[in-house]
Amino acid sequence: MVHVFKCLGRHFALDVESGSLFEVDELTADLIEKRSPLAKAKGDFSRYSETEIAEAEREIDELVKSGVLFTPAPVHPEPVYKGVVKALCLNIAHGCNLRCRYCFAGDGQYHGSVDFMSPETAIKAIDFLIAKSGTRKRLEVDFFGGEPLLNMKAVRAAIDHARAVEKQAGKEFRFTITTNASLLTDELIEYFNREMYNVVLSIDGRKDVHDYMRPTASGEGSFDKALENSLKLVRARGDKSYYVRGTFTSRNLDFAKDVLALNDYGFGQVSLEPVVLPSDDPLALKEEHIETLKEQYEILAREYISRRASGKEFGFFHFNIDIYNGPCASKRLVGCNAGDEYLAVAPNGNIYPCHRFDGMEDYIIGNVCDGNFDETLPNLFATTNLTKKEGCNDCWAKYYCSGGCAANSIQICGGIKKQYKLGCELMKKRVECALAIGAIESGEQQ
Amino acid sequence: MKHVKVIATNTICKEKGTGCGECQTGCQSACKTSCTVGNQSCEQKKTNRNTKVKQD
Repeated sequence: MVHVFKCLGRHFALDVESGSLFEVDELTADLIEKRSPLAKAKGDFSRYSETEIAEAEREIDELVKSGVLFTPAPVHPEPVYKGVVKALCLNIAHGCNLRCRYCFAGDGQYHGSVDFMSPETAIKAIDFLIAKSGTRKRLEVDFFGGEPLLNMKAVRAAIDHARAVEKQAGKEFRFTITTNASLLTDELIEYFNREMYNVVLSIDGRKDVHDYMRPTASGEGSFDKALENSLKLVRARGDKSYYVRGTFTSRNLDFAKDVLALNDYGFGQVSLEPVVLPSDDPLALKEEHIETLKEQYEILAREYISRRASGKEFGFFHFNIDIYNGPCASKRLVGCNAGDEYLAVAPNGNIYPCHRFDGMEDYIIGNVCDGNFDETLPNLFATTNLTKKEGCNDCWAKYYCSGGCAANSIQICGGIKKQYKLGCELMKKRVECALAIGAIESGEQQ
Repeated sequence: MKHVKVIATNTICKEKGTGCGECQTGCQSACKTSCTVGNQSCEQKKTNRNTKVKQD
């Protein structure tokens, strides 16, 4: 399968199975399209000379012969459940000092009551991860919530314990914390910059957008404090990884301005995610928004290239695709591995397929405190990889999104094999932009 | 080549021995809702995956 697309005013061809990427002229784009079994239109070539057409055809033939165009799809092995866990999201606090209007976790409480993980439970979660990790060396723990800074006692207990036992266990822990940054102190900044492999700081972009979407419990805007503290942390962080991460909704369809605002404030690593909400929610993104949102990604991509060319640090999570050395084919089939190698733990120790399932009784897998672990759900998630999802096998973007988010499939579309179509459309546009950016920037470096 | 500029070839590694599982879990990095696996890094940091195609 070959995906021919136009992005940023240029034509590209992606050989889906090999990942090979070509920039082509319009004639060649049309000729490749014409060879595709899925081609709808056969193109109008009347404006080209026979010599030109023959020349382009020869170049296409050469690529096909070299095995980098129209590469046949391999038969992927059947997915199997191996019973290995390598990453945990610790929902360290079911509670938050903000009242974000789009919060999937219902004010951070996950549709229950305010609850905080005890240090003992956090330690048991670390032990559970080590015990389930098999031969995996690098283990990941993400402190999430709610607002994890409301329960630093448990965060510190988990880290202290992991550091004390990791060497003997032959493991290497990588910690991430996701915070609204409002409660950061100088001491915490120093601690996070030392202990956290990655820090995710939640800011939505422009001040008015952020203050409306992310008010405090007493209804005030949270932007000023979040910005001040986040900048302080990032400036002291050196080369270590971080992301300033926001959410956009139907209220700011011009979200490219928010991404650029975050970069303008001084953040070099930015992510802004489309909100995922049921379609009857006033903040939900809808099908009629798709074209506008796609245009926004193009606007963002143009400015992204321009800023980077001028030497400015600017990374956007979804444009950050390594067109030469991405993950291996095995990784591309399984995606985030939720429910299988990646699980979430609630404050009471309950284990869920990922943070998005916390509080859903039907999705309790076990508990880190009593050691119960029912393999039924992990088995289902592990064996439902991209090859088993509806529509994914024939999608050109399959090796970049890996079948998408299982929580979106289940919670928005009603089944693990179903596809959250709106998310698919936005993902495809982001991947096109990322590939085009990679191609354009590789040309500039030559 | 006059009509085609080769940007990258054979970048999806299917070699034996891959799939070690040591790479970052997608959702742990930044997205939390819209996993992009294509932008994860390989821990084995293989640099010789590309098989070059002759470009005129």
